[in-house]
Amino acid sequence: MHRFLFFFVSLFLTPAAWAQPVTFGASVQLTGPVANTGRYYKDAYEFAVEKINAAGGIKIGSAHQKIALKILDNQSDVNLSVRQYVQLLAQDKVNFLLGPFASNFVLADSSIAEKSRVPMVQGGGASDQIYSRGYQYIFGTLPAASNYFGSTIEAMTKLNPRPQTVALLYADDSFDVSVAKGTRELLKKAGLKTVIDERYSTNASDFSVLLSRIKSENADAVLVAGHETEVLNFIRQAKSLDVSPKLYSFTVGVPSADFRHALGKDANGASGMTAWLPSATLKDQWFGDAEEFARAWKTKFGYEPDYHAASGVATVEALVNAIQAAGSTDPQKVRDALAKVSFDSLYGRVAFDDKGQISLPQIMVQIQNDEVVPIYAGKDFINKLQYPLAPWSKR
Amino acid sequence: MELLFQVLVSGILLGGLYALMALGLALVWGVLNIVNLSHGALIMLGAYVTYFLVTGAHIDPFAALPIAAAVLFAIGYLIQRGVLNLVIRGPMFNTLLITFGIEVVLTYLAQTWFSADFRTINPGYAGSNYTVGAITIPYVQVLVFVIAIGLTVAMWLLLLHTRTGRGIRAAAQNLVAARLYGVSPKSVYALTFGLGAALAGVAGGLYGTVSQINPYIGGPLTAKSFVIAIIGGLDNPLWVIVGGLFLGSIESLTALYIGSTYRDVASFGILVLILIVRPSGLLGRTT
Repeated sequence: MHRFLFFFVSLFLTPAAWAQPVTFGASVQLTGPVANTGRYYKDAYEFAVEKINAAGGIKIGSAHQKIALKILDNQSDVNLSVRQYVQLLAQDKVNFLLGPFASNFVLADSSIAEKSRVPMVQGGGASDQIYSRGYQYIFGTLPAASNYFGSTIEAMTKLNPRPQTVALLYADDSFDVSVAKGTRELLKKAGLKTVIDERYSTNASDFSVLLSRIKSENADAVLVAGHETEVLNFIRQAKSLDVSPKLYSFTVGVPSADFRHALGKDANGASGMTAWLPSATLKDQWFGDAEEFARAWKTKFGYEPDYHAASGVATVEALVNAIQAAGSTDPQKVRDALAKVSFDSLYGRVAFDDKGQISLPQIMVQIQNDEVVPIYAGKDFINKLQYPLAPWSKR
Repeated sequence: MELLFQVLVSGILLGGLYALMALGLALVWGVLNIVNLSHGALIMLGAYVTYFLVTGAHIDPFAALPIAAAVLFAIGYLIQRGVLNLVIRGPMFNTLLITFGIEVVLTYLAQTWFSADFRTINPGYAGSNYTVGAITIPYVQVLVFVIAIGLTVAMWLLLLHTRTGRGIRAAAQNLVAARLYGVSPKSVYALTFGLGAALAGVAGGLYGTVSQINPYIGGPLTAKSFVIAIIGGLDNPLWVIVGGLFLGSIESLTALYIGSTYRDVASFGILVLILIVRPSGLLGRTT
């Protein structure tokens, strides 16, 4: 009874309550092995929704509607995350879907969105497989996995002396297999000789064999597409086995503060890529600019944001922009509006191609003196790459 | 040829750490007849204890190992006394369930307390190495190997030559007879589980110095320890070393000659083969 009374009173007291909030639902890895990256998405969704609500919420026609957020913890389990997306739509009646982290999750979860004809905007999956199925209701703010090493390989062809031999190592999941497939072609086009092209099991902890092969084949450059735990082990074991290629680059970890913290000085020299750097030139309607956003994030959550964070915020902004453009919360209309959105954000220009994926250049970065330094973007070097890397004993 | 030797050396060094991980599991399994599924979680806790001693109290990781062992001994002793002892006479399935539950609880407590951040125990000398001919031998891995072998031998001597050790073995061999001779199963069991946990603690600290730590490393480590216990058998710690070295080498050779994705296929394939061909264990007995 009390609850009823409270409900009615609150209905009359807050005028905004007349309008039902628009609910965004997501299933994210808050626990389990991927929780370390999953948290970026929870924090990003909450931060973006908080900011947008503080600025009045979503403008639909002349009315303002607040956003409500429903986040479930999928415990880093793909099957659970699929069930949770079903639950979000069937039971919690959320209006729109935000994505989980990681390509293999998005690959499975996007089928729920497609089947229910509710748009899902996701910032956690980059695998080309996600967009190769002709799905209409999936939109993504991570650029294509196949081109993750694009800027790195372009930079490699301009190095002096040019690396002659390359080792390509990749984990056996959807994202990394996509990366490897694209990278193989890029390497061929660039005329670089691949001496090792090897897949390893996700969560591998021992890289001594691969490292010994890199040493014996004398690979100049090593490109690794994998997960952060694997990259940590790879670098530690490279040091202890004294394997020092002239350049090594990793798809994950390098832009994250946590990664540099775990490795300390040994992180220096590692290259990677990011589609986002917190630059003041990236203006945003709600956060001011990317630099301000990064500062506010650090204060709020106590750790530095990386591209996962910015990508997560961009998905919320894309949905809000699309709903405003559609002037309705009808899933079909919003889906059509999403296909047409084009706006500047703290993450960069958000617009989707006809498959639903964003197109952003990857900036090659390297850790130098414990800082992430942008190295190569567009067609030019921004800063000097430490190359060739000194042997471990001289670092 | 150099590549083969390098890979073998790495495999054997890795095998030493594997052996130490499996030792605690094999001990508890042999004496209490419990396959402790929370063994990996105890290794994880040991890694965190060592990590915090190193980063918080600035103790050298190898000096921190005895403390990690003591802390884990206490945790193990309490888990056995407070939880496992209640189902010790229950069917195997119940003890499996309960240790699985303990592993889930420990993992989630670790995430709540320590967050899912990745950490490493990384003293200044962590990456240093010797070069012998064309073979690079990592210093820390050798140290880890020596400690692992040393502890296994110490364990063997303890079981063979001390009164406590004889009590433990007696309880494993014939509980009724052991009780008649004045062995108190309650304290022997708690002591054994504590010892198993202490060994896991040391293994965890060593694991952190060569790999990375997060709350979720436990599961795969339990699985690996299980395979080694099956290969080595449960009655003699020395066979566990052999099992560890065997598995480390096989995995490395598989990765070299067949492919890196086949590592786990090889180790678990061996497990299945042994269970079919010699269900009583390849080297020692498991039943």
